[in-house]
Amino acid sequence: MKVHIDEVNCSGHGRCAKYAPNVFRLNDEDGYNADRGQTIEVPAGEEANAKLGVKSCPERAITIVED
Amino acid sequence: MNDGESRNDTYPRATREEMIERFGRDLVNDFDLDDPRFNDQFNETLNYMVRKCPVAHSQVGRGYYVLTTQDDVRAAAQNWKTFSAAKGYMPNRPDGIPYLIPEESDPPLHTRWRHKLNPHLSPKVCAAMDQPVRNDVNELIDRFIEKGECEFISEFGALLPGWAFFKNVLGVPLEDLPALVNGVEEGTFAPDLDERARHFSGVFDYLEKHLKWRSTQPARGDLIDTILAGVTYDDGTEAPWEHKVSVLVDLTFGGIATTTFVMASALHHLATHRDQLQLLLDDPSLIENAVEEYARYFPPVVALGRTTTCDVEVAGTQIKEGEFVMLGYAYASRDPRHMDEPEKIDVRRQGIPHSTFGVGPHRCIGSNLARVELRATLEEWLKRIPDFHVKEGTAPTYVTGYLRSMRSLHLVW
Repeated sequence: MKVHIDEVNCSGHGRCAKYAPNVFRLNDEDGYNADRGQTIEVPAGEEANAKLGVKSCPERAITIVED
Repeated sequence: MNDGESRNDTYPRATREEMIERFGRDLVNDFDLDDPRFNDQFNETLNYMVRKCPVAHSQVGRGYYVLTTQDDVRAAAQNWKTFSAAKGYMPNRPDGIPYLIPEESDPPLHTRWRHKLNPHLSPKVCAAMDQPVRNDVNELIDRFIEKGECEFISEFGALLPGWAFFKNVLGVPLEDLPALVNGVEEGTFAPDLDERARHFSGVFDYLEKHLKWRSTQPARGDLIDTILAGVTYDDGTEAPWEHKVSVLVDLTFGGIATTTFVMASALHHLATHRDQLQLLLDDPSLIENAVEEYARYFPPVVALGRTTTCDVEVAGTQIKEGEFVMLGYAYASRDPRHMDEPEKIDVRRQGIPHSTFGVGPHRCIGSNLARVELRATLEEWLKRIPDFHVKEGTAPTYVTGYLRSMRSLHLVW
């Protein structure tokens, strides 16, 4: 599974990393997603958490690009 | 926009007869955030409008629109080029008060300030405030626990966010807090617009004095020093003094005026729903998620405004350039097109896509601190006062406009 984090629409709510800390990393300094603008691989076994992280984003800034 | 979670629920549009019968007015063409009936029928009105009135219009003052569905609110909040924040977020904004920065500005000016300010309220920095905030929670509880009762707003709810923000972030003397809290509250809800302006001016004057004093002191490397250092705008100019004062005022408004409502509402809900209280007492690990659900369901910010920079259509309604459009955050957080049974409080709800902290580049900068305050309050309160009720013969009182606030809540144990 792969997810893409939108570079512009991520606004630092931090919900993704709360639900899926092993998938989404926050930038230490400002708390925005550290992989903004990137497509990242979801580690095996973390798919359900990743989906919750995607769902909880108030910006809809994360999309599943490959299920 | 479709995330696979969206439902295709469609609801018939509201009819004039139905609205007048249920709410005493035509909400689509003649809405009023300050109507006492909106305050009294708050939940019922939100639930109705998010289904049946995607766009409402108010004829009050200069007039304003309110967007209610989650998709429309999010799209407008993210599209700052069309929905500009630079003309303010308050409907019928009182004359004579300077615009608040960064809240009432657009990128790139907005971005310059947020880049500098965000690190002071990041999740990591706020996590370090957890213990000091818990100490404050306990210190406040110490003051009234033996009494067996308290008026929660004045004895706890209106104080804790101010303490947390003043002590940990601003370093402003605590004895000045009550006057500032009152200034922000009256500046927001006073029925008379001139009165609102007068109260806001008092807050500006106080904070400007504080900022001036700090500029004569050795640097502490805190948020105030970051504000004093300022930013360079894209045209090469340095942020002027009045912008720095404005930033401090903006942060203070947000820091002391909103979280109170969520914590008071959560405790009122627990005091009146024994099963829900028992659930959290039996499993305190649910509290972190409960904070998210309470924030969703008890929104202190009903709606914040933008000004259109061009003609635009939203849900079939034509909106002209230069109109004031409110983003209905409180409505969007209970949109049935995006969640099951949104009118139900369910602390086990997972992945709650709410907009209580706003959406788009203006996302509440204090959201991480608010979460720390709410969690610490609920965890410590339930440990020390696990069995509490609303005092017999009393009921909480509310005031609502573009913000919603609880004025009194009498608890006994």
